[in-house]
Amino acid sequence: MTMDLERFEHLAGAYGADLRRWPEAEREAARLLLAADPRAGLVLGEADVLDALLDAAPRPAPSHVLRERIIADAAGARLGRTRRLWGPIAWASGAGWAAAACAGVAFGMVLTSQMTAEIRADTVLYQASLTATDDAEILAAGLGG
Amino acid sequence: MAKTADPDEDLVKRVGAGDPAAVQAMVARKLPRMLSLAQRMLGDAAEAEDVAQEAMLRAWKQAPRWTPGQARFDTWLHRVALNLCYDRLRRRREIATDVMPDQIDDGPTPDRGLLAAETGAQVEAALSRLPPRQREAIVLCHYQELGNIEAAALMEISVEALESLLSRGRRALRTALADIAPQGVVKVAGR
Repeated sequence: MTMDLERFEHLAGAYGADLRRWPEAEREAARLLLAADPRAGLVLGEADVLDALLDAAPRPAPSHVLRERIIADAAGARLGRTRRLWGPIAWASGAGWAAAACAGVAFGMVLTSQMTAEIRADTVLYQASLTATDDAEILAAGLGG
Repeated sequence: MAKTADPDEDLVKRVGAGDPAAVQAMVARKLPRMLSLAQRMLGDAAEAEDVAQEAMLRAWKQAPRWTPGQARFDTWLHRVALNLCYDRLRRRREIATDVMPDQIDDGPTPDRGLLAAETGAQVEAALSRLPPRQREAIVLCHYQELGNIEAAALMEISVEALESLLSRGRRALRTALADIAPQGVVKVAGR
């Protein structure tokens, strides 16, 4: 497949300078033209200026509070059989529940309604650092669920 | 329809089964993308958070009954978030007496010596002044890095129509940002 400069300009005008964003079927022809025709390089250079400007736009990052709200939504969304049995306890405990229970503090932490959003965020981060285990299953099995 | 390979298939299944670790993994994987999509479509951080949260809530509701093979989960989630964005954009138009302009302001920018953060803000502002469909095309293809076929399908248009929206959008942005382009960016070569 070959590509002429007009098609190359059209695609650069639409998709920008990064060939990975171009239609897959036309990338190889574009590379060949790029190697053969120096005008194609100039076209990409112009497109690259706008790409770099677009990349300068700030990239929003989710806050811990937003993450917490969304995980709380999941707890209320009736996901899976064990969730229905254990509700918020299983969700709030996650992978760290068993370990924290050994220290005698987890149950209170999970049940208290006074737990602040910041502490919950820290708990989530802590849980994420542990090996993933479905404690809901363990709890359900242990209590005959 | 041909079966679509979906990198999220296993994760969605685990979420649907109520696996807390999968829920956290899904949040880590999808929330930044949904927030970015909404922020760039709406240009408002608080509204973007609301849209991202609502889209994820719908993901939780959908996961238990998700049928693999019809569409990618990521594409479906993009569609949900885009619909939520358009609902909000429509509401804005109904409330505002002056309708959002269809053409962006291509006048000269006042300050040529912009700092990087200011450059970013200018780009964001120029993006927000694009007609919504042009903005959507650029957000999907450039920022969300969807393939052209996937983006066109999501927008329910042909690939040719997508390319037309992209070209017009990029042309308008180039004109709007012409004054800051030479100073505001360092050209990246060799991609």
